[in-house]
Parts: sequence; structure tokens; C-alpha cells
Amino acid sequence: MPADVASTQAASPAQYGGRMRALALGAYAGIFYCFLYVPIILLAILSFNDSQTIGLPFRNFTLRWYSDVVNSPEILKSIVNSVLLGIVSASIATVLAVLLALGFRQEFRFKGLLMKIILLPILIPGIVGGVAELMFFGYGNIPFGVWTTALPVHVTWVLPFAFFTLFPRLHGLDRSLEEAAADLGARPFMVFRRIVFPLIKSGVVATAMFAFTLSFDEFIHTLFVIGSQRTVPVHLWTLLSDQMVPFLPAVGVVVMAVSMLVSLVGFAISARADSGSAQQSKTR
Amino acid sequence: MRATPVRRSWVDLRALLVLPAAVWLLIFAVAPLVMLATMSFWTSSIFGTTPDFTLDNYWVIAQNPIYLQVLLQTLRIAATVTLISLLISYPMAYFLTTLPEGKKAIFLVLLFLPFWTSFVVRSFVWLPMLGRNGLINLILIKLGVTSQPLEWLIYNEGATHLGLVYVYTLFMILPVYLSLERLDPKLIEAATDLGAGPVRTFLRVTLPLSMPGVLSGCVMVFLLGCGAYVTPQLLGGTSGMMFGNVIAPQYTVTNNWALGAALSVLLIFVIFVCLVLFGRRVRLNDIFLKV
Repeated sequence: MPADVASTQAASPAQYGGRMRALALGAYAGIFYCFLYVPIILLAILSFNDSQTIGLPFRNFTLRWYSDVVNSPEILKSIVNSVLLGIVSASIATVLAVLLALGFRQEFRFKGLLMKIILLPILIPGIVGGVAELMFFGYGNIPFGVWTTALPVHVTWVLPFAFFTLFPRLHGLDRSLEEAAADLGARPFMVFRRIVFPLIKSGVVATAMFAFTLSFDEFIHTLFVIGSQRTVPVHLWTLLSDQMVPFLPAVGVVVMAVSMLVSLVGFAISARADSGSAQQSKTR
Repeated sequence: MRATPVRRSWVDLRALLVLPAAVWLLIFAVAPLVMLATMSFWTSSIFGTTPDFTLDNYWVIAQNPIYLQVLLQTLRIAATVTLISLLISYPMAYFLTTLPEGKKAIFLVLLFLPFWTSFVVRSFVWLPMLGRNGLINLILIKLGVTSQPLEWLIYNEGATHLGLVYVYTLFMILPVYLSLERLDPKLIEAATDLGAGPVRTFLRVTLPLSMPGVLSGCVMVFLLGCGAYVTPQLLGGTSGMMFGNVIAPQYTVTNNWALGAALSVLLIFVIFVCLVLFGRRVRLNDIFLKV
């Protein structure tokens, strides 16, 4: 069969080409990951470098920059501020986002307009949002600080992201369960507590953690509304603009470690939730 | 018959659940922007900013060529950063789709991890890379390429580009990856069976079908690039300055709030025009609900 012979002959160079392409693609990915990680690893290495200037060569291993970080009351205060602010703003934003997502399952007037308003905090360039909030609170004579101005700003910043992570989960829920419960006489709050919430619980937790990291890392809006108080990124920024203090890499590593850790846990929770619901729908 | 009206009112009430968030956003997101737009017509002096209706702020911007120049530079940098991100992200997104499920999850997490940290830190990591005592200079000296550390690696437009690509490229990879994931592998098989080579299959099937993701990514990166402040401030020096670095000093240095407001309005307006011109085919809702 000549056709068969031709096809086997054609297959091997094609397979060879395919393998070469896969190899090239893998090598490219390797370079890409290096691009992502080399600067971060370098920063981590430099945080242990016993040198007054930030940079190479690596002289001696030291932990003193970390002890400087731990012993600096300003840094500790800013970490406390950031963590508390993150927890409170993530909680408020998540509650608002759950309500919003529940309401968004209904059709109502101005839904399209509301969608655009939800997108606003994401679409407006950070610096413009920051100065707008600065003038807004400034003219409202609200004293600048972590709880007076930074909190509402953080909630506003986090809310759209929380909504967009939650909404697909809520939207995909099988409505018949709720309808059944309602037909059996459960009041709306009871339906939410006993049916909806258990189904979206891990999604809500994951969203809250995602919201926490967004708040913890928020910089540009906070810079303009925080007044004389400090969150970690704002403090890092003032350290960067004042002078290159030698413990900067250590501060950077601490900040990175906190947000990466919280994000990883949040990611793991949401991944487990997703695989759980996938299994549920398979067995159903 | 009696159950229906009860059910209906219950359903209508549930739409009211959007109210807390809607009111919140009206107060803290919409009102400040309305205030910003209003204030761009006010007058700032050393005594503060007073209500007025004047176009003076816009006139100042029009008369001083530096503003227009930085605005154009900002659009240009945002556009090249978008292009570079697209070129380096597409193969990466493609690579991710070729992985088996288990590995895919690991590589995705590895990809996300650096982006889960503050972008102040993510911009700052390039200082010890590009600086005088940086890694690049050390390598170049060790290799004998140069005997003195190179000073031009940082504090210029190139460093701004590099930093912005580094900081925002995930926003390109993600939508491209998602659109490639949705692509039906049967289409590619069909193209191959019909005799199309890999290049032709890519150009005629894969690429056109991933266009929605490409467009979403481009819009996101361009938007973020236009509003950049931190990265150019840390890495760009004077030549790598962007529009954000012109707005901020109106608040931190000269206290000219009215001029700052006018500059901000101009930036939003220009970004909006760019989006209408180039991104008409992208529906923003799609970007966010699918990603």
C-alpha cells in the first residue's frame, strides 16, 4: 500500500519537528521563569548580605538586617497596621461582595450601569483614583489615617475583585435546591444559611484571603490618603525614596513572604473547593 | 395560583441585596471622580483650592509642551510594553496549555506566585539587578565584556519598559492562556488532517481563535501601563518618566490640586479615547467575568 508507506514516512519528520517544538517551548518557559524569579531570589540573597550598600558582591552571611526589621518600631507598627487593615477591609469587602453577587443573580433596572460602576475602581488608573480620594476626603475634612480614610479606600479597591471572584461561583449554583427549600417554607435567610452559604463557603473564604492580599499589597491609593501613618508598602516606599537603607531587601522579603503565604493558602482552599464541586457535579 | 405573587415579590426583594455595595461605590468610587472632574475647573493658590469655573488649568497644560510630551511618551511606553508583553506571554501561555493537568497546576502557581506580592517590591527587585553593584554588571565584568560597571542599565526608558513588563505581564498571560484553553483541539487536528503545516495551522486556526484573549490582555496591560507611577519613579529616572509622575508632584510637592485634577481628567480622557479607538471589539465585562 503506497499510501500507507507515504504516511509513515511523513509521520517521523513531523513527530521529530513536534518534539523539537516542544523542546524549544520548554526551554523558552525555563527562561521565562528565570526572568520572573532571578530578581526575587537575588533580593532574598541580598537580604542576608553583610554589606552597608545594597548589591553584590556577597560578603558574609548575616541575619542583622532581619533583626533591624524586627527591632524597628516603625516597621512593626506598619506591619500591624497592614495586617489589621487587611483583615477588616477584606471582611467588609467580602460581605458586600456576597450581597452584591446574590443580588446580581436577579434581573433589575440599571444592572448594566451598576456593572460599569463596579468596574470603575479597577479601570481608573491607580494614581488618578488616589488623588481623587485625597481631594474627596480632604474636602470632606476627614482626618487622614488608617481607619478614617485608608479603610474605605481599601474596601472600594478590593470590592470589585471580590465580586468578580465570587460571582461565577454563585451564578453557577443550581437554583433548584434553593427553590425546593423555599417551596418547603424556608424563609430567604434560612435558604441562604442552610443551602447557599454551605455551597459557597470555601469560595467565600478564598475570596476573603484574596481580598486580604490585595489590601495588604495596595500601595498607590493608600499613599495619598494615609496621612502620616504607614502601611507596609507605604513605609517601604518612604524608605526607598529617602535613602537606600541596607535592610531594604529584608523588608521586601518579609512583605513578599506574608502575601505569598496568604495567597498560596487561599489558592489551595479555592482549588480544593473547585475540585470538590467538580466531584459533586460528577457524582450527581 | 397564590404561590406565584409571593415568589415574585421575594425575587424582587433579592435584587435589593446589591444596594449596600452600590451605595458604597457611589460614595467612595463615583463621588471622588465627580469631585476630581469638578475641581479641574477650580483655582489653586497658596491659600488652597477654591471653587471657580475656569479653564485656566487646561490652558496651563496646553501651553506647557512638557505635559503633552510626557503624555505622548506615556502612551508610547504603554503601547510598547503591551506589545512586548504580548510577544513574550503568548508562547508562555501556549506552553501552559501543552502541559498535563498535574504539572499545569504547579506551573500556574509558580507563575502566579511573584504576582501575589506588592508591586512596590516587584519594581524594587530590579534595583539590585540593574544597579551599579547589580547582578548584570557583576556578570558583565566577570565575563570581561566591560571593566567598569555600566551606568546606563537603569534610570532610563529601557528600565521603565523592563520593569513594567515584569510587573504586568501576568495580565497578558492569563487571558491568552484562558482563550487557548477553550480552543477545541479537534480544530487543530482537522487542520493538520487537511494538510496544513504547523505554521499554517497556528496562523489560520490557533491565532485567530485566541484573539479575544489577546485583546483582553492588551487592553489590561495598556490600561495599567498608562496609569503607571511606581515603576517609572523607581527605575525610570528623568528620561523614563510617565504621566503618573507628573500628576503626583501636584499633590506631594506644589499642592496645586486643581492642576493635578485637570491632568488626571486629561489622562482618563486620553485612555478612554484609546480604548474606544482600539478596543471597541473588547467588552470589558467579558474580560473580568471570564478571567
